[in-house]
Amino acid sequence: MTGRTGRRRIGIGTGLVQGLIVTAKTMLRPSHTDEYPDVRPSLPSRSRGVIGLVQENCTSCGLCARECPDWCIQIEAHKETLPAVAGGRARQRNVLDSFTIDFSLCMYCGICVEVCPFDALIWSSEFEYAEYDIVDLTHDRGRLSQWAATAPPPPPADPAAVEPKEVGAARKALERAAKKAAAPRTAPAGASPAAKKAAAAEKAAAVKKAVPVEKAVPVERQATEPPEERGTGARGEADS
Amino acid sequence: MTTELGMPTLGVLQTAAPHPLRLVLNWGRRYSLWVFNFGLACCAIEFIATSMARHDFIRFGVIPFAHGPRQADLMVTSGTVSDKMAPALRRLWEQMAEPKYVISFGACSNSGGPYWDSYCVTKGVDQIIPVDVYVPGCPPRPEALLQAIVKLQEKIADENLRDRYTRRAPGVGALTRGLVHGSPTGTVTVSAPSAASGQAPGSADTPRSSS
Repeated sequence: MTGRTGRRRIGIGTGLVQGLIVTAKTMLRPSHTDEYPDVRPSLPSRSRGVIGLVQENCTSCGLCARECPDWCIQIEAHKETLPAVAGGRARQRNVLDSFTIDFSLCMYCGICVEVCPFDALIWSSEFEYAEYDIVDLTHDRGRLSQWAATAPPPPPADPAAVEPKEVGAARKALERAAKKAAAPRTAPAGASPAAKKAAAAEKAAAVKKAVPVEKAVPVERQATEPPEERGTGARGEADS
Repeated sequence: MTTELGMPTLGVLQTAAPHPLRLVLNWGRRYSLWVFNFGLACCAIEFIATSMARHDFIRFGVIPFAHGPRQADLMVTSGTVSDKMAPALRRLWEQMAEPKYVISFGACSNSGGPYWDSYCVTKGVDQIIPVDVYVPGCPPRPEALLQAIVKLQEKIADENLRDRYTRRAPGVGALTRGLVHGSPTGTVTVSAPSAASGQAPGSADTPRSSS
């Protein structure tokens, strides 16, 4: 198609050559395909894969079931009366009978996780739970607990971030205790104010050292994961 | 709406195929799934993402270039099926040649999802067509579809077509049976699995639920 005006001269094979150039360039570029079944995708620690249940934290208040826009959470519980201890009266508490989430219905909005007052529900980034039968997509509390065990720890806080409330409260309590312990020892000896200051600084340093340990493992997970449960969770993951 | 169709018939080769031959046939079948996307909503975008270079399900032999349902082996229903669309879905499924497989992708197609309370949404495609693998998610990740495909391939590898066609009645909705396996209080009863319940072989006891 040589132009009549003669401004653009396009040979017969030009398009072909250009196409081959593109092909050759693409061929030399490394492929960006994810090797999924062999390499797991790296997901953010709070990505919405599946909802896990920390049974020990659940008070069966039913807030999650009420707030669920899809009504995909079903809770059954009963009241249990604990015998009175000396000087007290008998107390009642809720005992969870069943907790199921129907993941064939769930729209992964996370409202249940948000409203849970005791952080009994937690996002896990697992996503490999396709099933042959739709009935199996309704996960009971045993399976939901396994999911909770797979929930990754939260990302570390920004170094410049405001101190979390609970960490601050713990630190203040420790400081107060330290002050109380230090006061009777230093006062009768009649130590100089400088020595007093040094002792306080020492205590503060000890407290600061103690706090990050607490930060590293979330309190609720530390308390709620029996070792054998974690073991079964890992095995379940390996099966899929 | 349940239409009673006759059982599809099998060729002599399939019926009389000895075990090694069946293995070969299944092997060929599982790695050449020409897929046909019945995309209706946002889940279809995830399906498209899975078909593109980043996830690329052609690696598994799932080929998204079927000219139409008549040339396809696998149908992926992704999105909200409305009652208006349901006859078309059923019709396209009927046009597919046997053996055909269906993946229900996403909450809407599994059970209606957020729209289960709507007047015009089909509460799960399994009410009108039999589904082989259900993928949970809203929408599921592309990797979740890849996992479902792997799971379907495992199912195809184990299957005996004669069993598949004698056990399963086409077009039986999931609502004809219990929705929960069992409840500790015994308030929910589960209907006994019958020939009409659409149970896939080996589906009653998955490795995860047994652990």
